[in-house]
Amino acid sequence: MNHTKRGIFTTTMVILTLLFFYLPMAVLLLYSFNSSKSMVITGFSLKWYNELFTNSPFLWKAVSNSLIIAVSSAFSAVLIGTLGAIGLRWYSFKLKNLFQIISMLPLLLPEIILGVALLIFFSAFSFPQNLFTVYLSHITFNIPFVLLIVMARLEEFDSTLLEAARDLGAREIDVLMKILIPLTMPAIIAALLMSFTLSLEDFVITFFISGPGSTTLPIYIYSMIRFGVSPVINALSVLIVLATIVLSLFLSKFSKYIINH
Amino acid sequence: MKKILINLIIILLLVLLYGCTNSSKNTDNKLYIYNWTYYIPDQVIKDFETKYNVKVVYDVYTSNEEMYAKLKAGGAKGYDLVFPSGDFVKIMISSGMLSPIDSTKIASFNLLDPLITSKIAYDPGLKYSFPYMVGAAGISVNKKYIKKFSKSARIFENTALKNKMTLLDDMREVLGLALKELGYSVNTFDKGQLEEAKQLVLKWKQNIVKFDAESFGKGFAAGEFWVVHGYSENVFLELDPSMKAQTEFFIPPKGGPMYIDSMVILKDSKHKDLAYKFINFIHEPQVYAKIVDYLKIPAINMEARKFVTVSPNYNIIDLKNCELKEDLGEGVELYNKIWEEIRI
Repeated sequence: MNHTKRGIFTTTMVILTLLFFYLPMAVLLLYSFNSSKSMVITGFSLKWYNELFTNSPFLWKAVSNSLIIAVSSAFSAVLIGTLGAIGLRWYSFKLKNLFQIISMLPLLLPEIILGVALLIFFSAFSFPQNLFTVYLSHITFNIPFVLLIVMARLEEFDSTLLEAARDLGAREIDVLMKILIPLTMPAIIAALLMSFTLSLEDFVITFFISGPGSTTLPIYIYSMIRFGVSPVINALSVLIVLATIVLSLFLSKFSKYIINH
Repeated sequence: MKKILINLIIILLLVLLYGCTNSSKNTDNKLYIYNWTYYIPDQVIKDFETKYNVKVVYDVYTSNEEMYAKLKAGGAKGYDLVFPSGDFVKIMISSGMLSPIDSTKIASFNLLDPLITSKIAYDPGLKYSFPYMVGAAGISVNKKYIKKFSKSARIFENTALKNKMTLLDDMREVLGLALKELGYSVNTFDKGQLEEAKQLVLKWKQNIVKFDAESFGKGFAAGEFWVVHGYSENVFLELDPSMKAQTEFFIPPKGGPMYIDSMVILKDSKHKDLAYKFINFIHEPQVYAKIVDYLKIPAINMEARKFVTVSPNYNIIDLKNCELKEDLGEGVELYNKIWEEIRI
């Protein structure tokens, strides 16, 4: 009796949670095919997709800015963060604990403070704000996430492997390339994806530090509010959701491959 | 694995290189524009680019406050042309952010409608700014549900329409509408007049659903609201053709607050000549007509009216009794206090 009751509770919870997650997306999908601009459903139409592909140059500029920033800052942050994590984990040096703490601090800091700080920093040194400063800032807030993910993986790393390698005459660089990095690869890829996502969706920090010609997608969508968010954005969102699904399917295959080989 | 690392490093270097070249290109033949969203049709910018063989870097903002904060904080260094409203033109002049405009370089200087230019007090003689668009908030009515009504702000007193109306969530617009209805200036500092306006708005408040500046257009299009106070473009862009036919937009005959958005050249601008070219291009009568056809607001450029093909939602003459919102300076505190008392 008790057992079936719990079964019902669990099923309801699962269904409710899934609904909560996916209903907004379903609504988005529905409205992206609506022929009217308002919230009244008047008929099926592809005109917002047509508008998106043929007549939205500034929207695509924002998308390409976002992608450039997300890809480049994710790779840079992973490169710096991974090396940092390895350094913090395997080497001992003065003030190591302090470094560990301050490198995690941006993780806890409200984004808005980081945004203001970066803005003041860049303007104090009269650094022209453009795509490059956005790139630098995104690396800044991505590094702590990379550190966190990669260090978690390194915590459970079997250190005897490294000792064995050194015993057998491997140089430090060989240990890094042939043992450390391959074995932390799943964490590195996870960190890469995390950074990519964080950078793609970041609004607060980018809002502060964006300058001429560096409007990213979140900033652009925000600025459209004045005229009510256009259904073109619905169409774009549907495409992004599709791309994310394809990417995550591909990656789940890919990461299995990496772990096995 | 080595390969992956090397690839990563190469990508990093490429990106660094890209960033550096990008930042040093500022001196090129590019015009940096910072404007309201959807304020210029994309086609007009493309036409400008082809005509002068230049590139326009175009960013957008949603409010004067946002634009001003960005420019002030230094976050937006590098823009040439910005489109602030009148009160912000005044603020920007007094904080020394603008470069004076040489009226001899602007071909259409005498084409502006004197009915409007005579109202300009934020920049007398247009020494620092050149008007782009003029307009005012008004009242949209759904005639399907409301057959008979008088064109006045008093429509908000009609208890039969209770919970079917919205007012803008904007201190200056709502108080200005009430002040004008009572026959006062929208920029008054007279406590008695403001108190009267407050009582009037409180009376309206009992009949409206809410103060709304974001979704009233959508709500109106869905038939949820029948009478909404706001800018015509926010409403009409949401409407289907059939719905447009049954919608009436009017500016209250006693007037209300109005705005002029101007083009200003920033002091640090590196492409002033190009900025002048852009101002002249915008005010070429055919080009200007294309823009007002898109926005469906009246043309301030009198020559352009000959080329307008779409009838605007209201005409320049409807703005006759409207008054420009001025920067309130310290007096804004008085308005804030009254607005808070209304909103509670």
